[in-house]
Amino acid sequence: MTAIIKISNLDKYFGRLHVIKNISLDVQPREVVCLIGRSGSGKSTLLRCINFLEEPSHGSIEVDGIRVEGGEKGKEHRQLVHNVRLKTGMVFQEFNLFPHMSVLENVIEGPVTVKGMDKDKAMALAEENLDSVGMLFKKDEYPNRLSGGQKQRVAIARALSMEPRVMLFDEPTSALDPELIGEVLNVMKKVAKDGMTMLVVTHEMGFAREVADRVLVMGEGEIIEDASPKDLFTQPKDPRTKALIDRYRSGEN
Amino acid sequence: MIQAQISQAELLYEAQQRKVRQFRTNVVISWVALLGFLVFLFNGPIEIDSEFIRKNILFIAGGLGQTFYISILSIALATCLALLAALGRLSTFPPLYALSTFYVSLIRGTPLYLQIFFFFLALPQLGIVLPGLFAGVLALGLNYGAYMSETFRAGLSSVSKGQREAAVAIGMTPQQTMRRIVLPQALRFAIPPMGNDFISMTKDSALVSATGFVHEVMWRATRVGRAEFNNLEALIVAAGFYWMMTLVLTFIQSRIEARLARGDR
Repeated sequence: MTAIIKISNLDKYFGRLHVIKNISLDVQPREVVCLIGRSGSGKSTLLRCINFLEEPSHGSIEVDGIRVEGGEKGKEHRQLVHNVRLKTGMVFQEFNLFPHMSVLENVIEGPVTVKGMDKDKAMALAEENLDSVGMLFKKDEYPNRLSGGQKQRVAIARALSMEPRVMLFDEPTSALDPELIGEVLNVMKKVAKDGMTMLVVTHEMGFAREVADRVLVMGEGEIIEDASPKDLFTQPKDPRTKALIDRYRSGEN
Repeated sequence: MIQAQISQAELLYEAQQRKVRQFRTNVVISWVALLGFLVFLFNGPIEIDSEFIRKNILFIAGGLGQTFYISILSIALATCLALLAALGRLSTFPPLYALSTFYVSLIRGTPLYLQIFFFFLALPQLGIVLPGLFAGVLALGLNYGAYMSETFRAGLSSVSKGQREAAVAIGMTPQQTMRRIVLPQALRFAIPPMGNDFISMTKDSALVSATGFVHEVMWRATRVGRAEFNNLEALIVAAGFYWMMTLVLTFIQSRIEARLARGDR
């Protein structure tokens, strides 16, 4: 099987700060990969490099056969980046719904403006996706009338409506009140079950253990552990992983 | 128990509403009293020539159209310039940034009165003779554009980085992001202060009268006032017109703002 995401020798510097250190990583189609690690370990930056919200300094990103070299400029590069973005959906910690558009308008915006999809067709697709995240009943509301959990579910529907091959989640539940986290995680489980390839930066160890096929632990800009959740939670190799898991266990009890 | 809580909240709300209504009523009464005092002043202690007013009020009112026309054209020009200047101000391309800050600094560093005279009186010396109305609109538009660029810049900056990232992540080009996501939100932010600018522009358009080429309200008032030495009456009439215009525009503005407040954020 060929990998759907291939990251090769990726480096990212912020000025003199080396935040991603020569990372290579393959993700298979339909795989759900969770990225965990302390804050500042580079996990969000790695995720944001995949759709070029952060331009990598060196190395390459390949998504569904489109290969882009980092650190380049010019029209051709911009076109490749655009093509990669069409293959990837992204969900942000802060939801970032468009406040001047209703829920339905938020979801059809990408298909209509970017893909030039017929509006009726986009609406049918949007309603289908809103239904699958359980938000169809709020389609005419504006985002300011929704709870955090509802906003994030709409944001997931918005990303899905671009029919991406890969979904990137950047701490999707970190800005939510504890009682709203469950509804978002449930929607994510459903997306995973439908066969979407997912990369999830998260602090939700329970989700990682239950849903992920693979868990990557990051520390100081490197992947320090790459294991199945079962192995990771029962026999962590790196002491930093052990510390993370111990903290999770003590919080659970 | 829950029933009791709701009715208590309702009672508190009602009490507060009563207070608000009472306050408004008192304000209206005070306004009427002040207005009555003004009317009384001009009917007794201050002698005014009502015959003059009757004779000239229509002539002065004839300038309202010009005043309004100048203001509309100027605000349109100012809006375009302000948007360009704001985009320049946020540009990372040094010449654009410099052009924008240079324009704003030059205009804000000199009096509007001087700028108006510049277009009427100084340019002809260089062989450039602009029609009166056109020169007035140019001066007002350039001036307000510089001030309004600050409003637009604030509006553009009020749109968070996350909004742009969300737009870019679904594949929007920078132009699409600007047109569909950033500008609508920035304009919504900028419309209330733009309303204020428009209202003050209708009044600043009176400065254009000083050149004598545009026959708007102020020009007409000073003309008839000076001719018959009835400046007091003429200026009172002009003041009344400006004030009424401001009241109407303020009312319209409050309606627009109320509409904008729905469904955002």
